[in-house]
Amino acid sequence: MKRILDVKNLQVSLPTPNGNLRAVRGIDLHVNKGEMLCIVGESGCGKSMTSMALMGLLPKRAEVTAETMYFDGMDLLSLSKKERNQVRGMRMSMIFQEPMTSLNPSYTLGNQLCEGIIKHKKVSKDEAKKRAVYLLERAGVPYPEKRLDQYPHQLSGGLRQRVMIAMALMCEPDLIIADEPTTALDVTIQAQILRLIRELQQEFGTAVIFITHDLGVVARIADRVAVMYAGQVVETASAQDLFADPQHPYTKGLLNCIPIPGKTLPGSHLESIPGVVPSLIGELKGCAFENRCSASIGECCYRSPSLENHLGSEAHQVRCPVATTSFQEAV
Amino acid sequence: MSDSTSTVSTAASASTFLPEVPEWRRMMNRFLGHRGLLMGSIILGLIVVLAILAPWLAPHDPYLQNISQRMIPPVWHEKGSWEHVFGTDKLGRDYLSRLLYGARISLTIGLSAALISGLIGTTLGVLAGYFGGRVDAVISYIITTRLAMPVVLVALAMSALVGGSLQMVIILLGLLLWDRFAVVARSTTQQLRDAEFIASAKVLGASTTYILVRELLPNILSALIVVMTLEMAHAILLEATLSFLGLGVQPPMPSWGLMISEGKAYMFFKTWVIAIPGIALMVLVLAINLVGDGLRDMNAPEGRN
Amino acid sequence: MLVFIFRRLLVAFSVAITVSIVSFMLLHLSGDLAISIAGPESTAEQVEQIRIDFGLDKPMVYQYFDWLWSAVQLDFGRSYYFQDTVMSLISDRLPVTLTLGGLALALATVIAIPLGVIAAIKQDTWIDRLALTIAVIGQAMPSFWFGLTLIVIFAVNLHWLPAGGNETWQHFVLPAIALGYYAMPAMMRLTRTGMLEVLNSDYIRTARSKGLNESSVIFKHALRNAVIPVVALAAVELGFMLGGSVVIESVFSLKGLGQLAWDAITRNDYPVVQAVVLIIAVFYILLTFLADVINAMLDPRLRVR
Repeated sequence: MKRILDVKNLQVSLPTPNGNLRAVRGIDLHVNKGEMLCIVGESGCGKSMTSMALMGLLPKRAEVTAETMYFDGMDLLSLSKKERNQVRGMRMSMIFQEPMTSLNPSYTLGNQLCEGIIKHKKVSKDEAKKRAVYLLERAGVPYPEKRLDQYPHQLSGGLRQRVMIAMALMCEPDLIIADEPTTALDVTIQAQILRLIRELQQEFGTAVIFITHDLGVVARIADRVAVMYAGQVVETASAQDLFADPQHPYTKGLLNCIPIPGKTLPGSHLESIPGVVPSLIGELKGCAFENRCSASIGECCYRSPSLENHLGSEAHQVRCPVATTSFQEAV
Repeated sequence: MSDSTSTVSTAASASTFLPEVPEWRRMMNRFLGHRGLLMGSIILGLIVVLAILAPWLAPHDPYLQNISQRMIPPVWHEKGSWEHVFGTDKLGRDYLSRLLYGARISLTIGLSAALISGLIGTTLGVLAGYFGGRVDAVISYIITTRLAMPVVLVALAMSALVGGSLQMVIILLGLLLWDRFAVVARSTTQQLRDAEFIASAKVLGASTTYILVRELLPNILSALIVVMTLEMAHAILLEATLSFLGLGVQPPMPSWGLMISEGKAYMFFKTWVIAIPGIALMVLVLAINLVGDGLRDMNAPEGRN
Repeated sequence: MLVFIFRRLLVAFSVAITVSIVSFMLLHLSGDLAISIAGPESTAEQVEQIRIDFGLDKPMVYQYFDWLWSAVQLDFGRSYYFQDTVMSLISDRLPVTLTLGGLALALATVIAIPLGVIAAIKQDTWIDRLALTIAVIGQAMPSFWFGLTLIVIFAVNLHWLPAGGNETWQHFVLPAIALGYYAMPAMMRLTRTGMLEVLNSDYIRTARSKGLNESSVIFKHALRNAVIPVVALAAVELGFMLGGSVVIESVFSLKGLGQLAWDAITRNDYPVVQAVVLIIAVFYILLTFLADVINAMLDPRLRVR
C-alpha cells in the first residue's frame, strides 16, 4: 500500500520558563492512502503537538525536527513557506476540537468555506459555492444554500462541526487530520459526527489521522492505531490486533479502563492506571511508563526501550522490553 | 460510549511536578522578573523618599524670593552654579527646592484624590455588581452620566467658582475620577457574586455588609489597586493641568504644573524653566503607570504579556 | 436593529438631560453666581441688582427649566461678557475644535492601529518594545507640556510651523500632534492586546490550516476582529479630546470651543460655560452611540440583538 505520509523520528520541543518542554520525543508514523489512523493517548501526551507539527501550525518558538517527514513523496520540512501553504489547505486539511470557536465570527460561512479553494485551485466564486453547497449537503447540514450567507453564531455546535468537516473536504485533500473533533460535542451528536467522518472518509478515499483520548471511538472507526505515551508511540498495530492482543502494559491498562459489552459485568469494578504522567521537561531516564507499570523490571529504570516488532511483524510494534522478552521466552 | 468510563485516566500538566515554591517567593520572583514593575517601583520609591525628606534635602527655602538671583540657569549651563543645581525661577526661588516640595503636592493630591474616588467608585460598583437588577441599572446610568461629563471643563468651572486650593483640588478630583473604580468593581463583583465562598457565607447567615466588606472586598482588591495607580497618575496630571491653567493650586505653592505655567513666558529663551518640572511630572507619572501595568500583569494568570 | 438604535437613542437623550441637570446644579451650588459675576468690589445693592437682572433670584428648579426650554430650541441666552448670543459664539468656535479633534483622532488612529498590529505580530521584539515605550511615554506626558515643547522645538527653534492662532492649516499641525499623542497610547495598546488575543484564537488557527497567506490571515481574519473594540475607543477618545481641547487650545491660542470655555470660566460667564459643557457632553454621547452602531455593524453577533 502506498504511504501518503511517512514520518521518522519527529521531535517537538517548546522553550518554557522551567526548561525545554520536549512534547514529542521521536515519533515514527506513517499513514497509507485512504486509511484511518487513530492516535490515542491521554491529554498532554503530545498527540495534538504531533498533529500541529504535521500541519506546520506550531508557533515559531517551537522547535520541530525529524529525520524524514514525507508527504506523498515531498519532504515537508524542506518546502518553502509558500509551498508549505500550498500543501496545507489544498492537500492536507484539519478539523479542530472546538467547533464553537474555530470559525471566524465576522465572516459568513460561505466566505470561509470558499476562500481556501479559490486561493488554491483558482476556481471561480460560483464554482466554489457550488462545491460548498454540495459538501454541506453531504455533511448533513440542512438548507445548505441558505447557510452560505449565515454567520457562525447562528449555528449550533454540532452544525458548526459539520461545516468544519465540509470545509476540510473543500479542496479534495489526500489527508485530513482530525484533532479530537467530537470531544466538545454532546454524546448523541458525537456518534453522528463520528459516523459522518467515517462515511465521508470511505466515500472520498481520504486518509485520516484521527486524534482522540477515547478508546471507544478508536474501536468504532480505526483501521490502524498508534498509542502514545509521554511524547512517544508505545504501541502501534491494526485496530483488530490491538484490541485482540495488546502488548504494552499501558495499552493493556487503557483497555482495562473501558467496559466491554457482554464481558464486563454490571456493577463490577473498572480498573484505572495508578500514578500520573511524568513531566516532559528535560530528559527522561529509562522507560517513561516505568513509575506506573506493574510489569516493570530492573532495566526499565535506566534503559529507554525502543520500538520493536511484535511476532516479527512490522504491522505490530511495541516499545517494551518486557513484552518482547516474554514473547521470546514463550518461543 | 460514555465519557467517564472510556476516557483515558488522569491528565497532569507538567507544572505539577515542579518543586513546591512558597507563594511569596513566587510573587517575589515575578516581581523581580518584571522589568517595568521593578523600574517603576524603584523610581516611585525614590520620588516618595525625596518628597518625604524634602525639608531636610532641599538646599533652600522653596518660598524664599531673591530678586538679585533671578533666572539663574541650572548647573550644566555655562552660567550655572552648584549653589542652585536646577537654577532659580523668575522670583529667584531655588528650583531644586521647589521641585522637591512640588513632589509632595503631586503625591498628596494623587493619593488623596485616588482614595476619595476609590471609596465612591468602589461603593457604587460593588453595590451595582452584587445586587444587580434595578440597583445596577441606576448605578450604571450614573456611571454613564459621569462619563459624559467633560472632566477638565467641569473641574475648571467648579474650581473657578470655589477658588483653587490644595484641598479643593483634591476634593474636586476625588469627586470626578471615580468612574473607572466603579466600572471595575462592578464587573469583578459580578464575576464573584455567585462564587461558592459567597454562597457559603450566605448560608451561614452572614449579613450583607459582612459579605461585601469581609468576603468580597479582599477578593477584588488587587484589581482595585491597579485602578488606584492609574487614577493616581490621572489625578496628578489633572492637577498639573488645572494649576497650569491657573485654576488649581495657587501661587506661591510649588506645584509642578504651576511652575510650568510660571515659566511659560520665559520658555523661548530659557527652555529649562519648563523642561525641568515637565520631565519631573513625566517621570513620576511614568513610574506610577509602570507600577500599575506591572501589578496588572502580576494579577493576570500566568502573567501574559 | 431599529429597536436597538431606538433604545440606545432614548438612553442617550436622557443621559444628556441628566448631564445638563448635574452641571447646572454643580455650578449653582459651588458658590453664589451673583457675587461672582458682580466681582469682589461690588456693593450689596449691585449684587442684588445682578441677581434680579440675570434671574438668579428665582427658584433653581425654575431657572433650570427656563434654561432647558431655551436650550432645546438651541437658544442658550446671551453671554455676560462677550457682546453676543451664546449660540453664535459657539457656532463660531465649534468648527475649529471639531477640526482639531478630527485631525488629532485621524493622526492617532493612523499611527496607533498599524503600530499596534506590528507590535502584536512582532511580539517581544525591539519593535514591540519601542511601540510600548512610545505608548508609555505618551500616557505619562502632560499634554500641555508636550504642546509647549513642540512650540519651543518646531516654532521657535526650527521656524517650521506657527506657534499659535488658527488662520491656516499649518496652525493646526502642532496642536493636532499634541492632542493626538495624548489619545494614541490607549488605542495602540488596545489594538495590540486585541490582536494578540485574536492571533491566538482558534479561528486564526483554522485560517492558517487552510493554507492562506500570512497577509490574508492577518488582514482579513485577525485585524477586523481585533479592531472592533478600537473603534469604540476611538469614538470615546474623540469625546475626551473635545473635552480636553480647553488645555491644548489655550496653549496654542486656537480660538475654539475650549478657549471660549476657558475665557468664560475666568470671567464668570456662566451661560457660556453651561452651554459648552452641555454641547461637549452631547457630542460625547452621540459619539458613544455612533460607536455602538458601528460595532454592531462590524460584529455580526451584535446585530441580532
